[in-house]
Amino acid sequence: MFVRNDAKEFRFCRSKCHKAFKQKRNPRKLKWTKAFRKAAGKELAVDSTLTFASRRNVPVRYNRDLVATTLKAMSRIEAIRQKRERAFYKNRMRGNKERQLAADRKLVEDNAELLKMREVELRIKAEKAAAKAERQQQEDEMDADEDMDEDMESEQSEDEEEQQAQKILLRNKRKSKVKF
Amino acid sequence: MIFLKSMLRVVDNSGAELVECIKVLGKKPTNHANIGDKVVVVVQNAKSLNQHLTGASASNRVKRGDICRAVIVRTKSPTLRSDGSVIRFDDNACVLINQKDEPIGTRVNGVVARELRRKNFGKVVSLAPRVV
Repeated sequence: MFVRNDAKEFRFCRSKCHKAFKQKRNPRKLKWTKAFRKAAGKELAVDSTLTFASRRNVPVRYNRDLVATTLKAMSRIEAIRQKRERAFYKNRMRGNKERQLAADRKLVEDNAELLKMREVELRIKAEKAAAKAERQQQEDEMDADEDMDEDMESEQSEDEEEQQAQKILLRNKRKSKVKF
Repeated sequence: MIFLKSMLRVVDNSGAELVECIKVLGKKPTNHANIGDKVVVVVQNAKSLNQHLTGASASNRVKRGDICRAVIVRTKSPTLRSDGSVIRFDDNACVLINQKDEPIGTRVNGVVARELRRKNFGKVVSLAPRVV
């Protein structure tokens, strides 16, 4: 037992606690302490079964019947406390499974390509092919336009073509980064 | 574990603040004092005398350099109790006493250990605000 100069007594359950105290750690901030768990709502903190065990400053006169009933009550109170604690834990963990499942689902949906699934691969391939075809079509159209007013916008069209070529290059680069 | 040259805080109103142990009484050959043991001390630091003090507290004041006896009331080193528990305090503290083991001061500030009562320092224990 350690007694501070303001007469506060400290009893340490193990040397780990004593060392933490000497290092001036706050028990409410250490995750493994009872104080933290109670403060953070992880354990039953307010309950009538817990008040029975607390120390009282009123001395009680010895009474044989009282002792007998107290002894009988002790086991009963303990059983009730355990039951309530189980219920508290269950209530705290309720919905965890669903939440985890939803999170997992979201993860799979967002990162489907990492799974190397055949259909996804095929879909991406098809998209690529479609994009290519579209580009081809556009170029064809442009060629037609160029024929129409070749003299007027020959320089401009060249610039545009250059730009498009760059764009395509960039797009290819980006796609090539995705690993299959 | 109070040895020769140990510095002790004084927790009464005798006027002394800090004393140095110069002899542990009745402890040969171990020569260290624990809670409830008597030591001879020399006053190193004392509160200055002011005129507001009257009566017993004024007449029993000690000065710097005075040599008197003291009883240990708190030790930093753990003390084993007969029930197996161990008690330790924040600091080493004592109360000044006279040759008849009566406290010089009229008040005791702070916590004292219960061991004092068994060693016939009931007066100190009754003066203390908290006994642990």
